Formats: sequence, C-alpha cells, structure tokens
Amino acid sequence: MKKAFIFAAILLTLMAPLASSESGQALIENAGRFDGMPVTFRGEVIGVMTRGDFAWVNLLDNEGYAIGIWCPAENAKKISFIGDYSHVGDNVQVAGTFHMACTEHGGDLDIHADNFTIVAQGREVDKSPSLPLAALSIVLAAVAIFITFYLWRIRKEREKILPWPSY
Amino acid sequence: MIPYLTKEDFKVIGFNLCRIGNVLGFLLLVPIIVAVIYKEFDIVPHFIIASAVTFILCNVGIHFLQTDKKMELKHALCLAAVAWIFCMPLAAIPLWSTGTTGSYLDANFDAMSGFTTTGLSLAQGVDHLPYSINFYRHFLQFVGGIGIIVVSLMILSKSEISSVLAFKGEARDMGIRPNIVRTSRIILGIALTFMVLGAVLFSVVAISEGANVGTSVFDGVNYSMAAFSTGGFAPHSQSILFYHSTLYEIVALVMFLIGSFNFTFHYAVLSGKRREIFKNIEIKTVFITLTLSTLVIAGLLLYFNVYSSASILFRKAFFQAASAHTTTGFGTINSAQIAGLWPSAVLFLMSIIMILGACANSTGGGIKAIRVGIIIKSFFREIKKALSPSSAVVTEKYHHIEDTPLTDTIARGAMLIALGYVILFVFGTTVTVLCGYNASNSMYETGSAVGNVGLSSGITSPAMPAPLKITYIFLMWAGRLEIIAVLVLIGFVILALRKGVRRR
Repeated sequence: MKKAFIFAAILLTLMAPLASSESGQALIENAGRFDGMPVTFRGEVIGVMTRGDFAWVNLLDNEGYAIGIWCPAENAKKISFIGDYSHVGDNVQVAGTFHMACTEHGGDLDIHADNFTIVAQGREVDKSPSLPLAALSIVLAAVAIFITFYLWRIRKEREKILPWPSY
Repeated sequence: MIPYLTKEDFKVIGFNLCRIGNVLGFLLLVPIIVAVIYKEFDIVPHFIIASAVTFILCNVGIHFLQTDKKMELKHALCLAAVAWIFCMPLAAIPLWSTGTTGSYLDANFDAMSGFTTTGLSLAQGVDHLPYSINFYRHFLQFVGGIGIIVVSLMILSKSEISSVLAFKGEARDMGIRPNIVRTSRIILGIALTFMVLGAVLFSVVAISEGANVGTSVFDGVNYSMAAFSTGGFAPHSQSILFYHSTLYEIVALVMFLIGSFNFTFHYAVLSGKRREIFKNIEIKTVFITLTLSTLVIAGLLLYFNVYSSASILFRKAFFQAASAHTTTGFGTINSAQIAGLWPSAVLFLMSIIMILGACANSTGGGIKAIRVGIIIKSFFREIKKALSPSSAVVTEKYHHIEDTPLTDTIARGAMLIALGYVILFVFGTTVTVLCGYNASNSMYETGSAVGNVGLSSGITSPAMPAPLKITYIFLMWAGRLEIIAVLVLIGFVILALRKGVRRR
C-alpha cells in the first residue's frame, strides 16, 4: 500500500507539467465558476515581484491573457528569464487555488500556487538590425535633410525678390 | 452669409498643418534615445524612416503652400480638426513597420488613440513590445494630452492672434494668461512637473513592492505620462493590475485625478488661490458625480452579489469609476472579466460617466464637468423661474476662477456640446451593435471611445471588423475635438463641394 502511494505521488509529480491547464480566457471569463477551485495554469513569466517570503509572478498564456500567481519567494528565485522584447520568459505551470476577487489581495484576480513547476527555461532572442532597413533609413534621412535645407534656401532667396511666391 | 472658401484658405490651413507635421518629425526622433539606452538598434531605423518621411512631406508642403495670409478663426478650427487626421498616418508608421500592430489600419487606430489620450489599443503582445515602442505609445499620449497644437504653436508661433485662434479650435479656449505663448509654456511646465513627480512616485512604489529597478523606472515614466494625460495606455497587458499593489493604484489615482483637473485651476491653486478647490464649479461637479457614481456602482455590484467583501467592492468600484470619469482608462479588472461578470446596469452607468468626462481645459475628454455643472444649474434656474412670480428676475451664476453669470447663451452652448456627444454615442453604439456585439458591451465600448477613456469590454481587439475600427477612430477624433470643430470642417467640405473653391 505504502509503495503504491509513493509510486502514485512520484507519478503525479512527474505528470504535473503534462497535466491539462485552464486557459487564461476561460479562467477570466468564467471567474465566478472557478472561484475558490483548484486550477492549473501555464504561461510565460512576464513579471516577478518579491514580497517578503512570497512573490508575485505574472504569467502570460499563449492567447495573451495574463494572471498573477502568488507563490513562495523560493519558487520565484528559480526563474531565470522574464519575458520582454529581447527575452522569452521561463514557461511555468502552476497548480493552485483560483480567486476571482482575492480577499487577501484587495480583490485582485489571482491564483495562490501550491505547486510551481518550470516547464521550460526561457532564452535570449536575437534582435539584430536589418541591414536593408538601416540603409533605407540612412538614405531617407539624407534626402529629408537635403530637401529641408534646399527648399528652405530657395524660399529665403525668393523672399528677397518677391514677398511670397504663388503656385 | 457663410464666406466662400478661397484657394488661400486651403493654403493657410495646409501651410500650418505642414509646420505642425515638422514638430511631429522631431517628436518621432525622441524614442530613438530609449532605443539606444535599451540597445534596441533594430528599432532605430523605423523611427528614422517615419521621421524622414514626415519631414520630406511637410517641407515640400511648406514650400508649395507658403502664404502670407494670417490665420482666422475658420482656419484655426479646421486646422485643429485636421491636425489629428494629418498626424495620425505619420505617427502610425513605426507602430506598423515594427509589427506592433497587425495592419496599417490598426496602427492608425493606436496612433489616434494615443493622440486623443483614449487608450484603446490594437497592439499585439504588449508585454513583448520593444521598450522604445512602448515609450513611444505613452509619449504619443503625453503629447496628445498637452495638445500637439499647443506644443506646435509654442515652438512655431509667429503671431499672437494665430496662436489664440488655433488654441480656441482645440477646445482649450479658457486661457490662463492673456499671452498665449506664455500660456502654452505654463501648460507644458505644469505637465512636465507633474510628469516627473509621478514618475518618481511610481518608481519608488514599484521598487518598494519588489519590482526590479530598471522595470520600475521605465514603467514609472510610462505610467506617469499615461496617467497625467488621462491616457490609459500601459506597458503591460494587465495594466495597473501588473503590480498587485494598493499603493501603486493610489499613485495612479492621484496622478490621473490631477491630470483631469483644469489647467486654469492648477494655475490658480499653484498661484495661491487655495479657496478655488472648494468653490470651483468643475471640482464640485466632479466630486458629486464621482461620489454618486461610485456609490451606485458599488450598490449595484453588491445587489448583484458580484463581490463578497465591502472593502473590495468599494476599491474596485471606486478605481474603475474614477478611471472612467476622468477618462483615463487604467483598469484593475481584466476587460473580459468586466464584460462577463459586471451586470449590464453597471456597464450602462459606466458608459454615462465616461461620456460626462473630466474637466475642461485638461488632458481629459468627454462633455466636461463645467458643462455638466452649467446644465445642472440651468435646470435649477428653470425650476426657480417656474416657481417664482412672473415679475421676478431669476439669476444664477457659477464660479470658475471668477464668478460668471449663467446666461442662456452659455447654457445653450453647454447643452449643444452635450447633445453632440449623445448623437456620437448613439451613432457608435448602433454601428457596434450592427457589427454583431451585444448592446451593453457596445454602449460601454462606444462610451469609452467617444469619451476618450480607453476602458474596454473586450470588443476592441485586432479581430474586430475594419468598419468598426474606422468608426472608433472617427469617434475618438470627434470626441476629442468636442464635435464643433468637426462640424465646421464638415461644413467647409460641403461648401467646397457645392460651390467650389474660389481662386481669391
């Protein structure tokens, strides 16, 4: 019996990242139905804020819905990358209790995580400039400067002869 | 008799438009500083291209449209109306070319939303946008808030009269000082002071709440620009909720309340007229309507059993109501949650307060508190008249910096503008419903666009139909200009079509 229990516990831990998670849209739009229920949510880390022994980790799912996760600070410390323009954030799966309007956190919609798993580590994204675009910008900038000063000079010269030209 | 349009009239408007465009050309270069700081060298060319295109177009325009004719009121009104339309496609270039939006129309939508300090956005993947692009979006709102025309006139103004007239066209006709250039500088000074103060406050709070220093400062600058300009753009898809902080919400609340106050009021209070806080009709109106709307929204949410705790109820209701009333658009509740969870009655009430709007001569939109106050006073005056003997003379006055008698002309003007907003609201709601959305969400979204608010029930998304995007662009533009300038422009177009353009 004990062996079976240990086996089941190990299996559950290993399977956790593979478990089906609720989408952010489903959780937010049906917040009343999920309120106080255990849920699983998976997404990319886009923000981390440590508050004493706990931390807020904002997760963004594939459909662009973000939810704040309240978890122990030690979990947040495991995060290597936070998503922004030049980084893909760590992909995290959490299992915990969903709150439509958390009484502990001023009515915010959140998930209090019981289980926090980093499914995939984030990475840096190469954002090297496009050379044709850079060349085009230089050419256009040169044209703009030339036209601005050339036309300005013509106007000044004409103003000396005629008050205002009429086209 | 309505005067004929001459070729010179078009030249005056076109010439001044191109000069404003040149200012935009310089403004498009500002985000390059942010791009260099964050090493986003791939983004730099996008801003250079947008700026260069703007300069080329505008300088060619200036060359061919140069005229010595002075600007008159009709030119100023048209200029104020067309300036936003003229600047929108140019400001949209970097948003489109960097892929911030899915199409050029979406980029135009965001540019107009930025200029009009609305805050509705079709940007994709806000959390992964380049820092420079995110800064640019908020910068557009800041520039729009203090008025691109005011900025342009301050820099370019040659004649005092021209400046006064264009200033009038942008619905900011209650000048602080007789000298309009000085007025513009005062407005810019007040805005920059509050912007810097706000950025410091936001940053300090974010750091104290556990965010890293870099993010805190960057977000602080952006949130401060958006809050003071009652804009509503945010560098994160969760808006203010990203920080999960009451203190951060309070700073935002203070900043957008300050931004929603009249610049004339700011100047009066900063000059030592503290009593203005308690006497000013706009402040009193905002206080009353905001308190009432918060209580009613909280009452309705309580009645429909949406939230369990009273403190949560009040906090969520007050922040959302204040954000809507000041036409800011920051949210602490996800838009999908508002649409799905809040009852239709609350959405309807929110739509109304979004249209009531902030104070006149501020960064906010909507009918404006001074007009709402005047309309309410007019009602009381009429009731008093009806109750008084026929021989009695009933007079009423209102206080805005100084006591002003409430005349029929003033009351009619306020009611006309309010009627214009109602027409826009009905038009927008009808179009949205015809596009297949439900009535309460349609009212909420239209109220948000017309009042230049930015709160959304989820309708505004890249997937919304193109005709609706164009309708909302029009509503944001017309709402920002308080309709009259738009009607003058339409009048000129109709005149030109019917009678043609005279050479002289």
